Amino acid sequence: MARLLVQLKLRLVTNALRASTGAQVGFVLSTICAAVVAVGTFYLLAILRGSGIAAADLTTVIFTAFALAWLILPVVVFGLDSTLDPATLALYPLRIRPLAVGLLAASATGAWPAATLIGLLGAIIGLAHGALGVLVALVGVPLQVLFCLTLARFVTTSMAGMLRSRRGKDFAALLIIPIFAVYEGFIQIVPKLASEGALTATSFGGVDRWLRWTPPGLAVHAIWDASSGHPGTALLRLALLAGITAGLGLLWVRSLGRALVTTDTSTQSAVRGSALPFARYGLRGTVAARFWLYQRREPFAVIYWGLTAVIMAVVAIRLVMTPDYFGGLLASGAAGGAFVGIFHANAIGMSGPGFGLEATALNGRRALRAYFSGQNIALGAIAVPLVTAVIFGLAAVARHPLDGFPALAVGLAGIGAGLALANLFSVASAYPMERRAGTPMPRAASGHNGDAFGVVILTLLGAGLAVTPVILAAVFSQSVPAAIRMPVLVVCAAGYGLALAWAGVQIAAAAAEQKLPELYQIAVRSQL
Amino acid sequence: MGGSTNGAAGWLDAQASHRQAPSGAAVQIVQLRKSFGAKEAVAGIDLEIAAGSLAGLVGPNGAGKTTSLSMMTGLLRPDGGQVLINGIDVWADPPAAKAVIGVVPAEARLFDRLSGEELLEYSGRLRGLPAGEARSRAAQLLDVLDLTDDAKRLVADYSTGMRKKAALGCALIHNPSVLFLDEPLEGVDPVSADVLRRLLSRFVGSGSTVLFSSHVMELVEQVCDHVSIIDKGKIVATGTTEEVRHGKTLQQAFIDLVGSRANEEEVLSWLGSSSS
Repeated sequence: MARLLVQLKLRLVTNALRASTGAQVGFVLSTICAAVVAVGTFYLLAILRGSGIAAADLTTVIFTAFALAWLILPVVVFGLDSTLDPATLALYPLRIRPLAVGLLAASATGAWPAATLIGLLGAIIGLAHGALGVLVALVGVPLQVLFCLTLARFVTTSMAGMLRSRRGKDFAALLIIPIFAVYEGFIQIVPKLASEGALTATSFGGVDRWLRWTPPGLAVHAIWDASSGHPGTALLRLALLAGITAGLGLLWVRSLGRALVTTDTSTQSAVRGSALPFARYGLRGTVAARFWLYQRREPFAVIYWGLTAVIMAVVAIRLVMTPDYFGGLLASGAAGGAFVGIFHANAIGMSGPGFGLEATALNGRRALRAYFSGQNIALGAIAVPLVTAVIFGLAAVARHPLDGFPALAVGLAGIGAGLALANLFSVASAYPMERRAGTPMPRAASGHNGDAFGVVILTLLGAGLAVTPVILAAVFSQSVPAAIRMPVLVVCAAGYGLALAWAGVQIAAAAAEQKLPELYQIAVRSQL
Repeated sequence: MGGSTNGAAGWLDAQASHRQAPSGAAVQIVQLRKSFGAKEAVAGIDLEIAAGSLAGLVGPNGAGKTTSLSMMTGLLRPDGGQVLINGIDVWADPPAAKAVIGVVPAEARLFDRLSGEELLEYSGRLRGLPAGEARSRAAQLLDVLDLTDDAKRLVADYSTGMRKKAALGCALIHNPSVLFLDEPLEGVDPVSADVLRRLLSRFVGSGSTVLFSSHVMELVEQVCDHVSIIDKGKIVATGTTEEVRHGKTLQQAFIDLVGSRANEEEVLSWLGSSSS
């Protein structure tokens, strides 16, 4: 059984190479990333040699980070690895014990398990001293990897029913926001702190006070104890780690037994409220209501707003704590507007086949103007407070809260420009979207990646161009008293943004009137 | 549920008198054509459906049913030909034509993140109904379609049959004079299918017209008074159900017209012979 499931996993992996070009590129990139993580982690752990107890602290943090990654990432890519879902095997007459062994073996197959093992083996060089230290490391590191695999299996099997349900998929999709924030924070902040000398191995001193009794901490401190002349404690820690892993394995096997006979799930929740909000305000209000509800209920809509906030923060974070904070705040405002546009620049493709309901009902240019403006009202109702909150949050971090107002002016103009460009591109370069198993975010359907890339670049350029006058006004009006400058900038920029959005609606409606059937044919090809 | 089809949604029965075109035909198709690259999906079909008919368009998979219906409903631009709904040219005056038709697409993929109630109200409001009227009709349709208990659930959590019923509700809420349905009963349980059948019969009884595509011959034979058979993009037979059957079952008449494959016995000789 183990051999069969490992062969299945290998076949699934190699089949990725025969799939679409996008899937091939994804597979190659994932493999390269795994190799980089393996080599990078191994190197990082190895250079800690000679750092004393600080090495154990940092190694514990790294081991814990790997365990957390194995806890979270399989939930996000649940649909991608067919061997993660017990429902795919529920129809076959399989006994639990050989099945569990086979699934665990399948888990250990692939680039990422290998990267975890190779990377963590760096602790042999960085932390282990003497024969006993190396021996304990050679046992402890594979045991830690086994713990990670078992943890991932336990979590995905326990949550399999939920992850297959609509609500579970929504939950898994939303995990992308903190993952993206952590990733961006890591690549933006860690190199900066390290280059400034503010982040060294000793910065993690004391973290093991509470991490040493977690499974990753047990593995690391077993190596440390064995290397520092405490073999008894080392063996005890190893035994405890093995016991925890075995206990988790037993829980997983029980969970697997349940999952094999309870494969069907459905979400039975109801919505609150009895009617469409704003529907009494004509067609514009009705469309606004639909888009408003979708911004709350559609996971990728929520993800887009989360990513917009993270991108705004990332753009400015390196500058807001320096004397150049003002440029960071303005850039953040411009980025907010541009990404509101980018994330909604294919509204019809993103609506999917449901657009048929609208295409069969929208009659003429006036109705289409109401359609686009209703959409903008819903998006603007979220974008304006979100951009305002992020800008003033960053201004507070920079300790110059008043300077949030010029950035807000740029943000408001950017939102108007972004919405206008979103309307235009939704009509002029609509393309079908698809959601592939295991990827929470919809993306351009095969053959349309160029369209998507072009829209992103043109929206960035267009929004950047549109906010340039406001940026210039914000920069060159700094000598004007704040009491006059701030309200004038914000009010004028808001009016400018509204004018841009209005123009976008007019042009998009005129263009859409001529090509509604073609837009429907694009929407109906979306697989969402 | 059964009684509610008589009491609720009375607005569906109204205004039958001014639904018909001067010629008496609700749908007239003249030399409708569509190609996708080198493949001719619809090869110049002519069709006339009388007002008050419940007409079926049947054909094998890939025969051109969905393409034809999409062109008839203004959702796919034809390469040539004309579609008249109640005398209105769909492609010369799309807004006027859209105002009098309702459409249920094949896969009934709707706005999944709205509740059933919100979806029907949204559809009504898109069609220009006042908010109160849209809400009231949505409630009546949900009752007739046996969806009241699920009205507040998201459409994303509906079964296939419930989606079909919700899609039909969306198509009926503005009381169209011609209703187009693409595979309306696929994936629908027998009880729900009966509800849909009775609703369609009542709709037609008021003078409205229904054209639906299907490859379930028994269903078409049971409910349709007019049948057209399409194969390889061409109408190969059309007329009243009796005329097309020609004394046979519709299934047999259909197979006689489009042909059948009968070599599976030679290929699958192992099937059923042992446990291996």
